[in-house]
Amino acid sequence: MKCEPISELLPDYLQGSLSAEQRHTVEAHLEQCADCCEEAALWKKLSLLPVDQPSPESRERFEALLQAYQAGRSNQPKGGSEWRKRFASWNIFHWLRSPLGAAAWSAAVLIIGIFAGLQIANSKSSSQEISVLRDELTSTKQLVVLSMLQQQSASARLEGVTWSTREQQLDPPVLSALLHTLRYDQSVDVRLAALDALSRHGRQPQVHKGVLDSLQQDQSPLVQVALIDLMLEWRDRDAAHRLQELEQTPNLNPTVRQRVEWAKSKLN
Amino acid sequence: MTLAPDEDLMLQVRDGAGETLGVLFDRYQTPLFNFYSKLTGNRTLSEDLVQEVFLRILKYRQSYRPGTPFRAWIYQIARNARIDHFRKFRREATFEPEMLPPVLPTDSAQEQQEVELLQRALQQLPEEKREILLLCRFQELKYEEIASLLGCELNTVRTRIHRALQELRKNFRQLAQGTLLKKAEAAGNIPPRGGRHEV
Repeated sequence: MKCEPISELLPDYLQGSLSAEQRHTVEAHLEQCADCCEEAALWKKLSLLPVDQPSPESRERFEALLQAYQAGRSNQPKGGSEWRKRFASWNIFHWLRSPLGAAAWSAAVLIIGIFAGLQIANSKSSSQEISVLRDELTSTKQLVVLSMLQQQSASARLEGVTWSTREQQLDPPVLSALLHTLRYDQSVDVRLAALDALSRHGRQPQVHKGVLDSLQQDQSPLVQVALIDLMLEWRDRDAAHRLQELEQTPNLNPTVRQRVEWAKSKLN
Repeated sequence: MTLAPDEDLMLQVRDGAGETLGVLFDRYQTPLFNFYSKLTGNRTLSEDLVQEVFLRILKYRQSYRPGTPFRAWIYQIARNARIDHFRKFRREATFEPEMLPPVLPTDSAQEQQEVELLQRALQQLPEEKREILLLCRFQELKYEEIASLLGCELNTVRTRIHRALQELRKNFRQLAQGTLLKKAEAAGNIPPRGGRHEV
């Protein structure tokens, strides 16, 4: 018997998920075919490979990471769990029912209406108008982001940051607002989200500098670690200097200190 | 007492109970470490990557949705962490065999020797073939989970597994033949017993 039809069944045979009839077919082939038989034998032998054990320090490092996380959480304003739950169950329909969502939705409907009207009125210059309307829509979205970043509720600010990631290009005022959020927002989650959003715009010098300058100011170990990673990703010229400065910070969290050492080793 | 499912624990982590992540760390630390160590051959890097996975879980815990199988989710994070690492540090992308035991043609029981040869044969596979075998054989992911992890069809997973096994067999056979040759050479070089003392 040829191997081809059997080889299609072999992976399922090895996982034990074939019907009895198919299993017999494969087993009959294995008795005759040395290659397939050897493959099945190697599959079984793979389970004999030794299990490598991580070092005990690995658990300690994780503990330090967890402590850093808990420290970051305790700096957050009270009532956080409520908004967290709200955010977890948040979806587009919830958002559209909120006053802010309704405003954005109305603006979008209005723009679609104008667009449809103009289409009917003058179909010749439509491409120019589409581009104008597209610009208007983008500006409206960015206005929504700006407005959401100034909300009292952390979940609304988080939504604002998430919205900003849907645009390829962001206007300078939105980038400034995100930088402001990264630097001054009370919630670690919002700052981390702002950092993720800004990481897409690292080619812009003011974003690059603004983000990395916040390394000295942020007190949350989680944000500090994320900033160190980003600095390596961006191949920042001043990385060595910035890391040295951070290392000299009194009472630096052990996890952050470890990350600094790791980053320094990557730079060398 | 039954153990809490991973998914329930992760939902607690998502809702702010960070300490619960310790239980998931204990469950997944060794499998993840082995996934990385057998893929990269570098212990230090593997431990770093395991830490990175758990840091990412904390960072992106809000993105975990109820009903998502945790095992598939954490391996998605693990793959991404490794891909990102190699994108940042290209120089390290080659396999570093610091963890491979030496294969000695003598002084080793046959089974032990076979295991060592198999380990070498596995390391000689191209990375994507090694990865798929590790995922299904060591991490015990179902083919459906691997398909969603790699973003391909179920049949493609079956084909890739079979091709990986075929190549593994060829590597293994070559190495076994090489070891036999070494044995034969070693046997040929041994001087006859008592030969030096003959007058």
